[in-house]
Amino acid sequence: MPVYRIADVVFSAEHIYGYTPKLCEKYRYSGDVTPELHLKITPADIAAERENEGGEKFPDAYLESLALFRKLGDYILNHSDGMIFHASAVAVDGDAYLFTAPSGTGKSTHARLWKEMLGDRLVYINDDKPVIRRVNGDFYVYGTPWNGKHRLDTDAKAKIKAICKINQAKENAIREMSPAEMLMVVLNQTVRPTETEPLDKLLGLLDDMLKKVGLYSLDCNISREAAELSFGKMSGNRQV
Amino acid sequence: MKIKEGFILREVAGSYLVVAVGKAVKEFGGVVNLNETGAFLWKLLEKSSTESEMVDALLSEYDVDRDTAEKDIKAFTDKLMEAKLVE
Repeated sequence: MPVYRIADVVFSAEHIYGYTPKLCEKYRYSGDVTPELHLKITPADIAAERENEGGEKFPDAYLESLALFRKLGDYILNHSDGMIFHASAVAVDGDAYLFTAPSGTGKSTHARLWKEMLGDRLVYINDDKPVIRRVNGDFYVYGTPWNGKHRLDTDAKAKIKAICKINQAKENAIREMSPAEMLMVVLNQTVRPTETEPLDKLLGLLDDMLKKVGLYSLDCNISREAAELSFGKMSGNRQV
Repeated sequence: MKIKEGFILREVAGSYLVVAVGKAVKEFGGVVNLNETGAFLWKLLEKSSTESEMVDALLSEYDVDRDTAEKDIKAFTDKLMEAKLVE
């Protein structure tokens, strides 16, 4: 049975289809740590994912991988002080930056502009659904195989320096956001549990995280100037 | 008037949020953002409260005249009824 390590959680998983092991190949674990979790996906889990996706005709093998991620996310929230977060996450000089926005706004596009500008200094942590965890009071972002359509992820973690909401605009401008303002943005970028106890865990994590990382709102077009503006502000005027 | 079962008020990042839990999630998947006065009135409605009880409570807690308090409470409870958060 394959063993994986994702977001520093070592777990074994039972699969029905071959898609998930392929997707998670980079995260295969062969070290000495005993798995702390065993995940088994059932046909009922796959049916539940199909309902979540609005009954669309995705292949069962793909839905199985989503079900696995959901179960891992539930475990991380309940046992590991963390959450799945919808964002494009990159690390530059070891510091992590998260771009968040509704799908189709341009998170990945802005991350790509940073990559073009910063080259090897930038590591893609995950372009779509990274995991965030609180470790010793600090917030870290972790790569996961659920990496979006550009398939960009690294099995790595980095301490979060800032989160930025991306807005499409003609002119580039960046401003700081208050935790209350950013809360309404990030609430839509997490999977909200339906039961009180895990929901309170999630809200507690968000409350703490929004106090500890930089929060920005970026109006941007698709240009190097936009990337220079956001990187300068979010990194504290680090040189490009 | 009373808040329906399954809606909870939480203070997060300096904001007051109302979210649904359990079965209520199917009816209401959103998030309501309340200001401080809204949260104060919400807490009264968690235990059930009439409009006149809310007016009295608001007058004893905040520096506001009766007319304004009545108007604000009416506007607030109308919104709660519209969103079907109360019964």
